[in-house]
Amino acid sequence: MKFITIDKKDWARGIEKSRETYKLFGPVKDKSGFLIKSLENDTLPDMEYHDTIMSAKSVLFPQTEKILETTLDESKEDHHIMKRADTDYSPRAVVGIRPYDAKAIELVKLNFDTDDYRDPYFCDAYEATTFVGLAVNKPGPFDFSTSAGSGPFCEDGLDILLADLDDKFLAKVLTGKGDAYISACGFETSADEKESLALFDILKKEAQNNIVSHIDTDKLKEKTILELHEAPFWEDVAFSCINCGTCTYVCPTCWCFDIQDETKRKSSTRIRNWDTCMSPLFTRHATGHNPRAAKTQRVRQRFMHKLKYFYDKYDQGIMCVGCGRCVKNCPVNIDIREVCNILNSYEKQE
Amino acid sequence: MDTCINKIRELSLKLLEENEVKKVIGFAEGTIPMATSPVTITRKQDVEKLVFNSTCGLNLANYIRNQKDKIAVIAKGCDTRNIVTHIVENQVQREKLYIIGVPCNGMIDKSKIESLFEDEIIEFSEDGGKLNVKSSLKEEKLNKSDYLRKNCRLCMHKNPVIYDVLAGDLVEEQNFDNPYPDVDEIEAMNSETKWQHFEDLTKNCIRCYACRNACPICYCPTCFVDESGPQWVGKGQDKTDVNTFHFLRAFHCAGRCTDCGACVEACPMDINVRDFTRKLNKDSFEMFGWEAGLDIARRPPLDVYSPNDPDDFIK
Amino acid sequence: MGNLLEHMGIEKDRVHFSWISSAEATKFVDVVKEISKKVRALGPNKKLVKDYN
Repeated sequence: MKFITIDKKDWARGIEKSRETYKLFGPVKDKSGFLIKSLENDTLPDMEYHDTIMSAKSVLFPQTEKILETTLDESKEDHHIMKRADTDYSPRAVVGIRPYDAKAIELVKLNFDTDDYRDPYFCDAYEATTFVGLAVNKPGPFDFSTSAGSGPFCEDGLDILLADLDDKFLAKVLTGKGDAYISACGFETSADEKESLALFDILKKEAQNNIVSHIDTDKLKEKTILELHEAPFWEDVAFSCINCGTCTYVCPTCWCFDIQDETKRKSSTRIRNWDTCMSPLFTRHATGHNPRAAKTQRVRQRFMHKLKYFYDKYDQGIMCVGCGRCVKNCPVNIDIREVCNILNSYEKQE
Repeated sequence: MDTCINKIRELSLKLLEENEVKKVIGFAEGTIPMATSPVTITRKQDVEKLVFNSTCGLNLANYIRNQKDKIAVIAKGCDTRNIVTHIVENQVQREKLYIIGVPCNGMIDKSKIESLFEDEIIEFSEDGGKLNVKSSLKEEKLNKSDYLRKNCRLCMHKNPVIYDVLAGDLVEEQNFDNPYPDVDEIEAMNSETKWQHFEDLTKNCIRCYACRNACPICYCPTCFVDESGPQWVGKGQDKTDVNTFHFLRAFHCAGRCTDCGACVEACPMDINVRDFTRKLNKDSFEMFGWEAGLDIARRPPLDVYSPNDPDDFIK
Repeated sequence: MGNLLEHMGIEKDRVHFSWISSAEATKFVDVVKEISKKVRALGPNKKLVKDYN
């Protein structure tokens, strides 16, 4: 395992240098709060941030993405034939991604990269991206990542894990991609492996001990889908829901999308947009029939997908990494931690 | 306002006990600081769950449509104005509602308070006009009056305009020589600056539609943005589509918006979408002397024709 | 609606409202001429116009 020490005085220079090879993304402060954005010109990632409102999934899976295009001009030989849009898949790096967000991208990948189908847009972006994680030294009060299969120092999905040591970063280089990025930055000061491992261990334990929020998922697997589906608590859970898409859009693991064709004069593009299972339109059939016409059905779907269907299908834990964004941003404070615990402890009354 | 919760619980209990209503719609304590959640209470023992404080920023008129039985609702000034609007627009029947009116001293601007802290808020409490807010790094004692939401600062109808019973003493109403200083500020800009203002305003919009869905008057069975045959507006993040949504939603609220602020309260990106609706409120006021939701006997100005309607825009 | 458009930064002279009877041919011509003149003076509209690429 390779460890690199980066003096914070050298940080900006290294990041700037990496721009020669990489297009950079990272946390920046905006008027709404912190967001993950493309870092243009000399903008550096803000490594002092706590949480970003939106996750890093948009780097690989933008809210609106042009996927195909064609011309409607019949004098052209290839008119009406959809071709892949000209998207830039040159190397990119997300600097300062939180470990739970990187883990979430691994969960999204389970859907987009399967034996049956490989989504070229997501997969090409994934391959182009290097994930430079920033460990969470001081987890916030809504962070329940340790009980959701991730954690403040979780390495899943990361190429590099950085630990903030006040005047310097200690970088744990986890993959070849990570090694290439560190070289592109010109960071070369090796740190002793044994000492660094021990230091990471201490910091990790300290951070994990600071996590105050937990969920129980141990019994979800043994519950039957129908029993949970027909449980009486859904009306209460869903009552306050206003059916906006906030929870699904801020969620780092929600992957649903909608395809739209847009034309202007002789050009036509096919775009895909994030979609949300909270919207009645999400399931409305062309006939007008809607299998999830009622709010309660839609709220149930979101939680069942995250906490049961996904768990059963992939056997990789729940489809939630415990970032706490939906808890914090839900306008009516529907709390996935509470819902998860209700599901986990539910026993059907005979 | 802190003592009114006892009265609210007492009244709710009585209504449920006497079977006057089947349920009470109010606010319950949230799971995180500065959060409350709309709740429906049907059992007497659950009445204790009801709370009312300066974080009850949503509008409960949004939860009273399509009810079979008579219900009770806890309503502050703006909520009651939206109840009036619902009655006028035939969304609810007055006799199926029992309104527990709460004179309101304003709701707090959560984003403004959050911006004082570098880390997350872990504790929030209030005592009269004082707020105690704590994060793991520091504690702040704030005057509530300095941290009121923008709409509450300009509110002229803090007291319920329609109610069956009051849960507290009426409060003094504010009066302003100019109730729309924020609109004036935008009106004073030239076209380019105005355009830039609204482009900046909506640039982080994620089209989650929380503003629309939190709005009690946005109750169309299918919103124009969700209509797919014909499709009126693109569904992506194109800024023209985003602004078309905001512009048209606001226009659909013309003469109906009570400036309750639920839209801004719900927005995860902290966008002051009131910049759109406030202009229409000002115009309704200046052209028709109209403020929405004050009188169940009057139709809103865009609903009726009067020979005196201003028409100098028609050439 | 005109007011809200203007409030958003759409120039006042770009949107016009008129009431013309089918019998008022000359009024129609005059109004359209007036509108054309005003809109031409403003140049092409860039606002609320979608760029597809």
